[in-house]
Amino acid sequence: MDQPFDLLSTIENGGCSSKLPAGLLAEVLREFPLASDPNLLVDVNTHDDAGVYKLNGETALIFTTDFFPPICSDPFEFGEIAAANALSDVYAMGGKPLMALNLMMFSREQIPMEVFGEILKGGNHKAREAGTLIVGGHTLDDHPPKYGLAVIGTVHPDQLITNAGAKPGDQLVLTKRIGTGALVSGQKNGLTLWDNYRKALDQMKHLNTYGAGVAVRFGVSGMTDVTGFGLAGHALKMARASQVSFRIQTAKIPLLPGAYEVFEKGSIPGAAFRNLEFTGDQVHFTREVDYSLKMLCHDAQTSGGLLMSVNPDHASNLVEEINRHDPDSGAQLIGEVVPESPRALYLE
Amino acid sequence: MLKEGLEELAAGEQVTVFTDNETSLKNLVTYLKDQGVEAEVTSEDQVFTILTERPADPVTHTDPADYCETGVIATHYVVCIKSELMGEGDPELGKVLMDTFVDNLKLQEELPTHVVLYNGGVKLAMKGSSSCSSLSELEELGTRIMLCGTCIDHYGLQYDIGVGMISNMVVITETLASAGHVIYP
Repeated sequence: MDQPFDLLSTIENGGCSSKLPAGLLAEVLREFPLASDPNLLVDVNTHDDAGVYKLNGETALIFTTDFFPPICSDPFEFGEIAAANALSDVYAMGGKPLMALNLMMFSREQIPMEVFGEILKGGNHKAREAGTLIVGGHTLDDHPPKYGLAVIGTVHPDQLITNAGAKPGDQLVLTKRIGTGALVSGQKNGLTLWDNYRKALDQMKHLNTYGAGVAVRFGVSGMTDVTGFGLAGHALKMARASQVSFRIQTAKIPLLPGAYEVFEKGSIPGAAFRNLEFTGDQVHFTREVDYSLKMLCHDAQTSGGLLMSVNPDHASNLVEEINRHDPDSGAQLIGEVVPESPRALYLE
Repeated sequence: MLKEGLEELAAGEQVTVFTDNETSLKNLVTYLKDQGVEAEVTSEDQVFTILTERPADPVTHTDPADYCETGVIATHYVVCIKSELMGEGDPELGKVLMDTFVDNLKLQEELPTHVVLYNGGVKLAMKGSSSCSSLSELEELGTRIMLCGTCIDHYGLQYDIGVGMISNMVVITETLASAGHVIYP
């Protein structure tokens, strides 16, 4: 390749921004008969990150997939981010990813074949870092390209952490900064400093392995990962699944540098508006939360952090431990769990 | 961008925006609505025209920490409702007075940051209560409606809540202690 191929030139909405609107999805899924089995520990009912099936008293299988169009220009980096994002669903259940299959859509008529190889290499690199074996895959001729993984992991049934376990009185912890959607859109519109965009890419590549390990050790009661539906969307799903409400202090939400400024300049991706439409009147914002911050709460995250609900006695130690291991993570206490109230989320 | 365009205008000055994309139109109208201004939309041959004006008081915060760290602006006040009744004497009169008081809150130039309801006061936030819709309107305007969880449990009202967030005495104490002033009707 003389000139490196820019993957971002192939798409309008990349990464998790290209999810279908959550409300639309829920409407279709409502008509589906739910699979039911005594060994099925987690099904689609609670909108969790993965399906979980108990094999025996020691082991449950976690099964999940995620794939999306390019979120960045560099093919290797796109592969890394897509893989980190797909693996995250296993971490969000407190599990360990074992094996994965590549899912690829790619048109050799539109993009040089070297790019294909680079994407796979990036994915493989991340999978190795996670100790996960890529054992095959499937490719379709399609444009724009899409890449991701189908992942199988395991967890001890007693250590399974779902999004339905949050308890009133728990504290809420977020392990990565918010704003990847904002910074990618800002980059496309020339409104992001290169350094800030770089930080967003590095964060997206970062595996949620350590956060998940700490969560298991501290007996986290509920957990999910924050991706395409934004912090508000995923917090809402977790609160509803747990039959509780969340109170979140927006000033404490860790933000990627420059993300707020991109939204202040009015460059807000469509995905944030779709997410806002989904959360609707299930979320309450106090007057002090300004518009850009409200929209950042709905910014679609790609390979975002873990949102954990944890006993208040352990919350600060948990945050400290994550930040000690990874000083750049920005892990923070952002709120608390309250008994189920008319709205799922109260953001102040 | 629309936001930058609006900032160049004087408050109340009108501006016309054209777009040929239905999603953009929806997003622009959502933004304008959130800024508290009217947006009049017309369409012709797939081109949408939005007639709007600069918000009277555009949001100018640049750093969320500036205004969130302290919670609220210095003059803020909290309304604390201890009972369904306002004043002592005829309970029927007391109830009418309280409903009228709650209904009038949304008309104040400066709205309360919080309405804290405890003991018998929580009954005002229950479905079907004559004050429930007034409290909902206030919540819609961005006021926190906080209910004492112990009181909800005591009266067995867990399934009847119409508006507000269930809270606890730690948060209620903090809220009252950090208020600019507290109004007890």
